[in-house]
Amino acid sequence: MTGREMLLDPTGMDERTADGTLAPRPVTLRGLTIGLLDNTKPNATALLRAIEAQLRQRTEIGETRLYTKDYFGTPVKDELLTQIAAECDVVITAVGDCGSCSAATVADGILFEREGVPAVSIVSDSFFMSGRAMAKVQGFPGFEFLAAAHPVASLDDDGLRQRAETLTPDVLRVLGVEA
Amino acid sequence: MTAEMTTPDVTGREAEDLANAGLSVDGAELREVLEHYYEKGWTDGLPVVPVTESYLQEFLARTPRDPDDVLFEVPHLNRALTVRLAAINAGLAGCLPAYFPVVVAAWDAIAQEPHPRRGIWQSTTGTAPLTVVNGPIREEIGLNSAGNVFGSGFRANATIGRAIRLALINVFGLVPHQLDQATQGTPAKYTACIAEWEEESPWEPLHVEQGLDASDSAVTAFVVRSVVHIEARHTSDPDQLARDFADTVARTGALIHEYTNALLVLTPEHAQVFASAGWSKDDVRRAVFGHAVRTRAELKAVGKDAISHNARWRLPADHPDAMPDTASGTDDPDHVHALGRPSSVQVMVAGANNAGVSAVVEVFGLAPERTPRERPCSVSRIERR
Repeated sequence: MTGREMLLDPTGMDERTADGTLAPRPVTLRGLTIGLLDNTKPNATALLRAIEAQLRQRTEIGETRLYTKDYFGTPVKDELLTQIAAECDVVITAVGDCGSCSAATVADGILFEREGVPAVSIVSDSFFMSGRAMAKVQGFPGFEFLAAAHPVASLDDDGLRQRAETLTPDVLRVLGVEA
Repeated sequence: MTAEMTTPDVTGREAEDLANAGLSVDGAELREVLEHYYEKGWTDGLPVVPVTESYLQEFLARTPRDPDDVLFEVPHLNRALTVRLAAINAGLAGCLPAYFPVVVAAWDAIAQEPHPRRGIWQSTTGTAPLTVVNGPIREEIGLNSAGNVFGSGFRANATIGRAIRLALINVFGLVPHQLDQATQGTPAKYTACIAEWEEESPWEPLHVEQGLDASDSAVTAFVVRSVVHIEARHTSDPDQLARDFADTVARTGALIHEYTNALLVLTPEHAQVFASAGWSKDDVRRAVFGHAVRTRAELKAVGKDAISHNARWRLPADHPDAMPDTASGTDDPDHVHALGRPSSVQVMVAGANNAGVSAVVEVFGLAPERTPRERPCSVSRIERR
């Protein structure tokens, strides 16, 4: 007999350093360079381009630059993160429409914010809880990201335009700029 | 257990009952402990075994590894599994300390697999780890390799597989509806650990094929989706049997990416159908690879006749993100292999020697590498102290 002992915690979790600070917001997107980060999921580029078109209708944005992740399931690699942060003023990333990529898309947004670049992460609304859980393990539980109506992968051009139209006011709001 | 076990004045008969039961407990305290684990969320839904420091030490004493060694980590989740955490979760799962070297080796093998560290267990695909054990340790700890091999009833099988699951939940936060976004999952997510019945196999065992000695004990890790039964009690023709397996391997519903992978778990009877015709494991692999083909028209009929540009998921050729699959660029574009190469098929023997009933375990393999993996699994030798 060993007598009374404490039960052990099987998680190994500790209080991680939380950093919930957003990057400084621009007043307007006029003339700014906008990074579009495609996570390789079907229709990701198409959705980002549709949002770009919506932004151009509303504001004289500067150029856009399209980047592609090498794998959707994990956050953006350091080199690409640094490159995008150097080349862009704000970044929009899509589309977290699966278990691993929804979490990774949210993690990407947090990484950009910590690099000082305002970011909009777009997941499909079926994966909102996964994004929330990722924000928590990244030490930024209140990080705001956008949820597009599921599904995205199977949409045609009209469907994508409608999703982009719905999302764009929130894209502007998260970026903290006037419509 | 008797209802009167807490009564101070025990009659002669009741004392005898207690002696026969051999154990008296404070049931309320036991239940309180179990409920504590539920409240904390440290469970797969079934009760767990309480683990304290002294019990943990019994597990750690069985492995030469340092308690702080990291066995497996997922950097994008900021989480790492140490030997100590693996042991606590093995204890919770109901493992005996003697099973712990198998659990450690299972994590070593999982760490070599490409998909788990890249987040596959957050995925809608809902895969599970399958742990296959070879070598002398099977007998020593009572791992089942015979009848009901995928079923319940054997403590070592049940709890070793569960030790992996509990650590995924507790250490990596892969909680359903949160970071675990499996659309449906699989029953294998509770536990999935089987042993090979090497003594009934006409071929060399799984771990020896991967370069280890027959006298080694070893774990081979697979990332799996469904376990599909093959009913073939009627044939002694190896080609008929290979076609029956191939039909299941190449079912269109299993095709998510360009290619799939499979582990054939042959019953001794089916292994003998092949072996008595002079077939080696490689002959079985080549036959299944050769027959696991869909026509372009069959793929078109289910909208899987092309792949997406980057993630290379199967989708219809008229999808905006569609590009031709690899077979389209060959001189036989209308016949599409479901497997990337013959070694995408692994072969082992398990199950009772009482019927021609085997299984195809569908093994997950993503496409971003473009070239299919040499083998869709990873092996690790079991180290004991």
